Amino acid sequence: MKALSGVAVRAVAAAVPTDVARTQDYEYLNPEERLRFQKATGIASRHIVRDGQCASDLCIAAAEQTFEYLDWSRESVGALVLITQTGDQPVPATAIVIQQKLGLPQNCVAFDVNLGCSSYPYGLAIVGSMMQSLGINRALLLIGDVSSRVCAKHDKSSWPLFGDAGSATALELDEHATPIQLDLMSDGSGKDAIIIPGGGLASKRPPPLQGTVQMEASADGTLRRPDNLILRGADIFSFAISKVPPSIRRTMEASGRTPNEIDFLVLHQANKMINDTIAKKTGFTPEKTLTTLAEYGNTSSASIPLTISAHAHCFDIERRVLVCGFGVGLSWGAAALIIPAHTVLPVTETDNVY
Amino acid sequence: MTIEAFIEKFSFAIEVEPSTLGADTDFKALDIWDSLNTLSIIAMADADFNVALSGQDVESSRTVGDLWQIVKAKSKSP
Repeated sequence: MKALSGVAVRAVAAAVPTDVARTQDYEYLNPEERLRFQKATGIASRHIVRDGQCASDLCIAAAEQTFEYLDWSRESVGALVLITQTGDQPVPATAIVIQQKLGLPQNCVAFDVNLGCSSYPYGLAIVGSMMQSLGINRALLLIGDVSSRVCAKHDKSSWPLFGDAGSATALELDEHATPIQLDLMSDGSGKDAIIIPGGGLASKRPPPLQGTVQMEASADGTLRRPDNLILRGADIFSFAISKVPPSIRRTMEASGRTPNEIDFLVLHQANKMINDTIAKKTGFTPEKTLTTLAEYGNTSSASIPLTISAHAHCFDIERRVLVCGFGVGLSWGAAALIIPAHTVLPVTETDNVY
Repeated sequence: MTIEAFIEKFSFAIEVEPSTLGADTDFKALDIWDSLNTLSIIAMADADFNVALSGQDVESSRTVGDLWQIVKAKSKSP
């Protein structure tokens, strides 16, 4: 079991766009199917970016909130890591562009990490361990995705699931911080379960597509562009309910806590069927299992910090939480950590483009 | 566990009367069948038989009996 000591959470903030897409308005399902979809997934609406707004914009909005709240000088931030699979451009890394837009100093470490639903425990591990080993006092972990930009609107297996969101978690070295227990896992044999097959170099071998991008029918009969996301829901479901509960159990064991001694379980917001099954199998009651599926849908990498932020009113006292992200990769992981009192800021809605 | 018990759990999972299903029912041809039912079946196999079915397992089965064979085989392997 991996543990990270000496790193404390100072602020958690999240931002979503203002436009709302409702399941009951989704034209590619009939009214009966919409009800059935909503009941099974728990998703009633999602916030979707307008043309031009990127994951970086939502993350910057969240980061600005943390600066306003913490009164940190920008010069004091030594690292900025962005975890996204929907960056602004393939090259350069979006985090470096954000360093400039946030007015962070040039001695700030900045880079992107390509992970999705497992981002939160991985991000805490990456940023926290770098802070410890390099002696970086303060850092920002930005996590966000605009999945609506990579899903085909008529794709019933992906479009009505995903919402857009960005988040910022401010971390600081603190020798008194309770160690964070981490369980981090990978299984590349499941790479096809969630994939954007086109756009990378493997898809250009043999030589690149010429002319206009064509829609092609996938194995499930849905027409997609090569750079659209394909989600094989049944495979993800099977993976999530079999592999995720053991990860949560290992993390609880390492932290020496039972579900009774943990205030909240914060799962990646996949869908209601998956999340209810995982919570039940690991012994967490619905009251302890925070969710934002109904309002924000599956917000990919940002779902854990967004869900914490959406429950800011529950964090006016110190809370012991277990967070667990799982999905694309396949990649999954859990972290048991303390969220100190008054460090969670409510969700902000913005259409700002920076 | 018997195939009768499996058929009963199967019918509860997809919310139809047990009497309407048999071992030779071509379940994906049922009017009510959709991709969400696949998830319900995977959840049922996990909860009631402690077996992790893949999407491919459901996809490659034509009848309820076919799927029962997979569940039986998987429940024996460690």
